[in-house]
Amino acid sequence: MKRYLLQVISLVAGLSLASQVKAQNTVKVGVLHSLSGTMAISETSLRDVLLFAFDEINNAGGIKVGDTSYKIDPVIVDGASNWPLFAEKAKQLLEEDKVAVTFGCWTSVSRKSVLPVYEKDNGLLFYPVQYEGEELSKNIFYTAEAVNQQAIPAVDYLLAQGKKKFYLIGTDYVYPQTTDLILYKYLLLHGVPPENIGGGFRKDDSGKVISAGKYVPFSYTDFQQIVADIKQFAASGDACVINTINGDSNVPFFKEIVAAGLTPADCPVVSFSLAEDELRSMPTKDMVGELGCWTYFMSLKTPENKTFLNNWNSWLQTESYPGVIKEKRAVDSPMVLSYDGVYLWKEAVEKAGTFDVDAVRKVLESGDISFEGPGGKITVQANHHCTKNVYIGETKANGQFKILETFPQVVGEPFLLKDLDDKLAAKQ
Amino acid sequence: MTNIFRLTLALLCVIFSIASVQAQDETAARAKLVQAILSEGTEQQKALTEIADSGSKVASDVLFAWTRDGIYIYVAPDGSKVPVMLEDQQDVEGRARGIRIIDGQPVKDASGKDMKFGDSDLNTADTDMRLRGEIQQTLDMLALADPDSDARSSAVTKLGNSQKESYIPILQTRLTKEKDVGVQKAIAEAIADLQLFDTNPTIQITGITQLAGLNSIGSLDNLKQLATSKGDPRVVKLANQAVGSIEHHIWWVNFYGTIFRGVSLGSILLIVALGLAITFGLMGVINMAHGEMIAVGAYTTYFIQNIFGAGFSFAINLPFSIAGRPLGFGLNLPGLNATGWFYQSYFLFAIPLSFIMAALAGLVLERTVIQFLYRRPLESLLATWGVSLVMQQLFRMVFGANNVQVNSPSWLLGHFTIDDVSFGYNRVFVVAFAILIVIGTWLLLSKTPLGLLIRAVMQNRSMASCMGVRTTRVNMITFAFGSGLAGLAGAFLSQIGNVGPSLGQNYIVDSFMTVVVGGVGSIIGTVYSALGIGVSDQVLQQQLGSPVMGKIIVLTCIILFLQWKPGGLFSIRSRNLD
Repeated sequence: MKRYLLQVISLVAGLSLASQVKAQNTVKVGVLHSLSGTMAISETSLRDVLLFAFDEINNAGGIKVGDTSYKIDPVIVDGASNWPLFAEKAKQLLEEDKVAVTFGCWTSVSRKSVLPVYEKDNGLLFYPVQYEGEELSKNIFYTAEAVNQQAIPAVDYLLAQGKKKFYLIGTDYVYPQTTDLILYKYLLLHGVPPENIGGGFRKDDSGKVISAGKYVPFSYTDFQQIVADIKQFAASGDACVINTINGDSNVPFFKEIVAAGLTPADCPVVSFSLAEDELRSMPTKDMVGELGCWTYFMSLKTPENKTFLNNWNSWLQTESYPGVIKEKRAVDSPMVLSYDGVYLWKEAVEKAGTFDVDAVRKVLESGDISFEGPGGKITVQANHHCTKNVYIGETKANGQFKILETFPQVVGEPFLLKDLDDKLAAKQ
Repeated sequence: MTNIFRLTLALLCVIFSIASVQAQDETAARAKLVQAILSEGTEQQKALTEIADSGSKVASDVLFAWTRDGIYIYVAPDGSKVPVMLEDQQDVEGRARGIRIIDGQPVKDASGKDMKFGDSDLNTADTDMRLRGEIQQTLDMLALADPDSDARSSAVTKLGNSQKESYIPILQTRLTKEKDVGVQKAIAEAIADLQLFDTNPTIQITGITQLAGLNSIGSLDNLKQLATSKGDPRVVKLANQAVGSIEHHIWWVNFYGTIFRGVSLGSILLIVALGLAITFGLMGVINMAHGEMIAVGAYTTYFIQNIFGAGFSFAINLPFSIAGRPLGFGLNLPGLNATGWFYQSYFLFAIPLSFIMAALAGLVLERTVIQFLYRRPLESLLATWGVSLVMQQLFRMVFGANNVQVNSPSWLLGHFTIDDVSFGYNRVFVVAFAILIVIGTWLLLSKTPLGLLIRAVMQNRSMASCMGVRTTRVNMITFAFGSGLAGLAGAFLSQIGNVGPSLGQNYIVDSFMTVVVGGVGSIIGTVYSALGIGVSDQVLQQQLGSPVMGKIIVLTCIILFLQWKPGGLFSIRSRNLD
């Protein structure tokens, strides 16, 4: 009996010793995404690419702080597409697990929900998905596309193609509403008269436009009336559609567009929420020539992208994490921006020589931190957004994009509305 | 003798030279095409312009394929680039013969055998938006001589929108040759539209009068511009009148268009709800799994599409293992790799199969769950809701959590136009489909012995049983039939929207709403309520300009209506005591 006790004690001691040894050389990093619920389809891919980035860094020796190298130890939590739960999980990551940094969130509402937690506990969050801007928290770094890194370059491109009429349509929530309002003002500023901006306006009592474009609820399916409207709008030629519809409503929308005979040659549709991952469940054969605008396309032919895709594919074959799908994977902009975020943080930590949030933030804000990512060079700016390349692409029958135009090194700018208002006032 | 010989020789020469002129035309066009594909910039533009003048049929086929990424570059062993098209006919590995653009012959390897290529073996001859615009213009010029009148008129309209007066003479020559009335109208409209940009007021006035007479919607913007311009007062006045008359025309187009869209939305509601009108309306089972029966039909269509295409496979790995071996099963079915019209006809096979699969699923559901719950509606609600969750998870395991791709057959894409009101083929199809299903159901219920039994059992189960009707069998058949109708709805919904695990959830509320408003138990009530909801939804949407407000008002009206008539449009008074 005594012998057994002794054995158990020595075992426990051994274990705790082992974990202590391990703890010296690891750093806890939080992954906060929805792995269940509606958003799981999109967000699970981000978890996968983060695990890939961690493995890549760990296999290359980890993060070097001073003379010690630290291996990344991911703490993965599930936000379950439930926004208040995101805040709880964030709190758990920061207060119980004491993670050095978190990579996470997809929807703007989940980001808004965790924002107060990160500000209160002084945490660090990297946010990777295109969003509407008009926000700047000292605890969040936005590798995401700001509106001037997606919607505005796309409109510039269309204006340069000689398009004169713009129809705005989107899902009814904060991202499409804000983006379309910015675009409405941007188009006015570039001499497009209001009657050439389709979809309708909503004005407040003083007659100021507070919402531009046509909006449908999530999972809306009946686009007959709207497409008939677009067809009349486009009858005079030189028209295009700016599409901020999110999620699976895009399928009935594009089916209706095809059935109405609106071809990309006459009236192209540029979509801001359709990347390679979404196109896998879209009728791409009928969508050849429709446009997209992102800061990364899988079809980029740079050496960095080729290496990234090769490594990603071989990692998929060998990894053994539960729940990672191995077949028919596509890579898209949010995934690459998640991946970039990990390397930007690594570089900042190594430069700061500590995991301390304030020190790391200071280095990130210095403007010296950049990374040659799969989508080109990405540099963190003092305003917590990133300078990166923006690409316009058009859909091919195989669900990939053919790159039409590159806007190199566009500086991310979160606050556009006020600036546009001032410029419009000055113009009048 | 020599004379005759000479004459024959001369004749032969003439015949050969005619043939060779034609062949030369084609050879020249092919050479130009190759030049256009391999060159860039101004040289490419020049080649395209020359192709446009050639009027060659080969050219339009090749150019169209080029815009659709259908032209590939084969790099020959000597390093020269050879543009090829792949044949439609593919072998088992999805590889096809490469046809050279230069002579229409297949590419051969060193031993003289035809070479076969897969989609990924070759680089496509890339196009961008600017180049495709140019190719499209070339295609439009070629299309002016197209044998198909629709292609001709759409080409004409494009030239009319171009605002380039240089096209007027081309169009005028075309007008003298054109025999089709529709195309004549399109040409006249295009010419008039281009005339608006003339500097001479008399020509502008001819254009305006012409456009007003033709009710040209496409030229409305240009006319409005003229109406507000500070040009010749006569021009401005006439332009104003023309704008007024065209806007009046648009009102009517919207009116008829909205009615049609309402009827088509109503038809969708009808085919979705008809199955429920039987399982819920007639049988009284609150069937929450109705939506999943729709999804069964939609997934069957997807399955059939894949069988006609590249095949279908799935594998399910269960999350536990026995003796260290993971449990799981899978299925791998080869596809028929059909192409052309045979592939396009997959939907015709999918329709009956969707009915059968959903009916079988309904049969299983009835035997395993519902037969024990006929007199307990609340329990049936909970049980079928559970079944619906189980089925959704099954769809996820077999077909994946993402939506799947269902491509519409080409004969359901496109539309035709009557006086500017456009009718999509898929929408016309759904209206016809709904009419057929309703007539079929009505015939079955009222004109067949089975229908008589069904009605008897549904009205009074115990009495029918006393009279010697095998009620269990009738219940079974009725429930399977109702589920089968839901499957048909799914087959159609796959053509206009998403196919995913939650497909059914999106339609279950609409289905119940339609049945309840129509009056539970009344098939004809369901027809009226579906059409009524559909048309009023579309009218409100059009009037209010907002899809959400339209729906809210319709729902409010339904609530008020049910307060006034709780039994629905056609409430059935029965002496049934259960």
